[in-house]
Order: sequence, then C-alpha cells, then structure tokens
Amino acid sequence: MSNQKLPYRELETKIKEAEELIHALRTGQVDAIVGERQVTLVRLKQAEEDLKNSRDQLRALVANMLSVREDERALISRELHDEFGLALTSLHLGLSWISRKLTPEQQSLQEKVRSLSATTTSLIRSVKNIATDLRPGVLDELGLVKTLKSEAGEFERHTGIRCMFKTNAAQAKFDRLAAVAIFRIVQAALTNIARHAQASRAVIALMKRTKVLILTVTDDGKGITRNPIANHSSLGITGMRERALALGGTFAISGSRSKGTMLTVRIPLSRIIVGRNEGGATQT
Amino acid sequence: MKARKRGSRKHAKPDGQNYVFRLFVAGDESNSSQARGNLARLCEEHIKGRYKIETVDVLKDPSTAYENRVLVTPTLILLKPLPKVTVLGNLNDTKQVLAAFRLTLVEL
Repeated sequence: MSNQKLPYRELETKIKEAEELIHALRTGQVDAIVGERQVTLVRLKQAEEDLKNSRDQLRALVANMLSVREDERALISRELHDEFGLALTSLHLGLSWISRKLTPEQQSLQEKVRSLSATTTSLIRSVKNIATDLRPGVLDELGLVKTLKSEAGEFERHTGIRCMFKTNAAQAKFDRLAAVAIFRIVQAALTNIARHAQASRAVIALMKRTKVLILTVTDDGKGITRNPIANHSSLGITGMRERALALGGTFAISGSRSKGTMLTVRIPLSRIIVGRNEGGATQT
Repeated sequence: MKARKRGSRKHAKPDGQNYVFRLFVAGDESNSSQARGNLARLCEEHIKGRYKIETVDVLKDPSTAYENRVLVTPTLILLKPLPKVTVLGNLNDTKQVLAAFRLTLVEL
C-alpha cells in the first residue's frame, strides 16, 4: 500500500518544491543559481533598483540644469535690456539731437547721421528681440495664458501657419517656474511644427481639469514618425519630456499621416497652480 | 506547571542540538545576508540552546550545494529532526518558516 503511494508522494513533493522555487524567483528572494559547474549570481532586482536610482538622479540633474539655464537666461535678458537697450536708446536720442542741429547745407553729415540712426534703431530692435527670446517679459508681466496667446499670434505672423490658442484657465495663477516650463514646451513644439510638420494649422490648448492641467499642441501636418520619438538625441523632445517630468507630469507625443502630430502634457494641478482661482475661458 | 515540564522534556535532547539546519548562501548577497540574520533570530527566539546551524557558501563550495540538490540560494534545509524540510528564500516570512519547521503550534 505504502509502495503504491510513494510515486504520488514524490510527485507531490516535487510540485511543492517547484512552486516554492517559482515563488522565490518571482519575489526576488534568490541571489544565486547553483549549476553543476558554476554558480550564477542573480542581481536583476538590484540592477533594476540601481537603474531606477540612476534615472532619478539624472532627472533631478536635468531639472536643476533647466532651472539654472532659465535663471541665466533671465539674467542675460535683463542685462541686455538694461545695459545695451539704455545705451542704444541714448545713442539714438543723441543722433536725433545732432540731426536737428545740422544746417541744410551740411547734407553729407545729415545723411551719415540718418544712416547711423537707422542702424541704431535696427540694433535696438535686435536687442529687444534677443532679450524677449531669452526671457519673454510678458510671461512675468502678464502671465502664462496671455503669453501663450501672444506666442500663438507671433507664430502665425512669422510662419503663416494658422495658430489657435484655447484655454479654460484664463484666471488661474501659475507657479512661476511651472509657467516657464509650459511656455518652453509650447515654444519647442511650435518650433518643431514650423521646421518639420509641413502643417497649415496648429492648435494650442491649455485645459484645466479637476486634478490635472492638460496642455496639447496639435497640427494637421505630415505626422511625427517613430524615429524622432524614440531617438534620445532628439533634444527638443527630450527637453520637453524632462520639463514635464520635472513637474511630476507626463509627456506623450504621437503622429499619423492623416491626423498630424499631437503632443500632450499632463501636470498635477497641485504642482502648477498657485491659490484657488477658477475658470475663465479664452480663445483666439 | 506539570504540562510545561512535559512540554520542555519533549524537545530536550542530551546534546542540546534538537534542530540541525544547513543554510546555503551566496557570500554576502542581499538575500543570503537576510536569511542568515533571520535564521539566527528565529532560532534564538524559539529554540534557544537547542539548535545548530551549518552555513555553506556556494561561492566557495559549490560542489556541496550541488550534491545536496540545492538549485538556488538562499536555501535552508532542516536536517534534524526528521523528516527533512527545505525552505527557499530570505526567510523574512517568520510564520511560514516556523510552520515549515513544525514549530508554530509548540513554540508560539
């Protein structure tokens, strides 16, 4: 009787051992596999943790780098505006004063002053453009929503691509750094549209939901392909993703030939909204 | 009082080694270190003075592990009292380990 039961018991024991082995492996409780000729260390779990830590550190480093870069841009922008802007304006005023003092007989001098004055005006415009590009003053003065509205208008004027901006967060007060991050994401997205999309129309939407702020930038162009999405050297996309992740958000981009490209950023409201202001729709 | 005395006689052995364990570890790897610590703690808490632990480092002595049909580390084998019992993993689950060694009902 007991001899008949033996194979069944052995089988039962083997199954139990196999189940235990599977459980130990699944729960990461194994650190070596013993073979006939060698012992293999299992460090997969540790390797995964190391990789995650490494990614987290890298992400923190990138977030810090982006923040430092924004500060430096703001500083350079201020210096340009205050130092060069003021000096060039003085120069322009001085040239106007000289021009008024010249007599009609001093024709050649008048032409020279006029030419210098035109150059100075052009320089003032260039300095203003560079300073604005480095740090859009409107972002600090008027806030994110009006800046995005203005950016959409500028984009349309420069590229000829119809650009619409819509939002339901016109009254929301955004954290300064978060506002800069969103603005830079939109800037990068619009640059990509202008350079690569071959689009005739773009839409920027900044929509506030119960717990998240959703930014979408869509176009009706040829649609982004998989290569630039997966390519880590595609700095525009990497920069946008890192900015979104630094705010505890998510970043997604997809494209198809028939529908164009759609970029979506979701950021928790707790990380981006200051105070409790609600509502207010805007559309341009 | 009498019951307690009978209970203690039941497990007492003249050589003081009622329980003999063989623990297979891989150096100081994370799970192996945890298993070492957990086993020492369990023995001290539940069978103090009545156990013996033999530790085999498979990195230094793989043949003993292979002969004992040990496939992974950490592996703990209860050699005595019979029947033999094998437990895999870092022994973090105290209840499960005690149950496997038939200690739960008697000692807890």
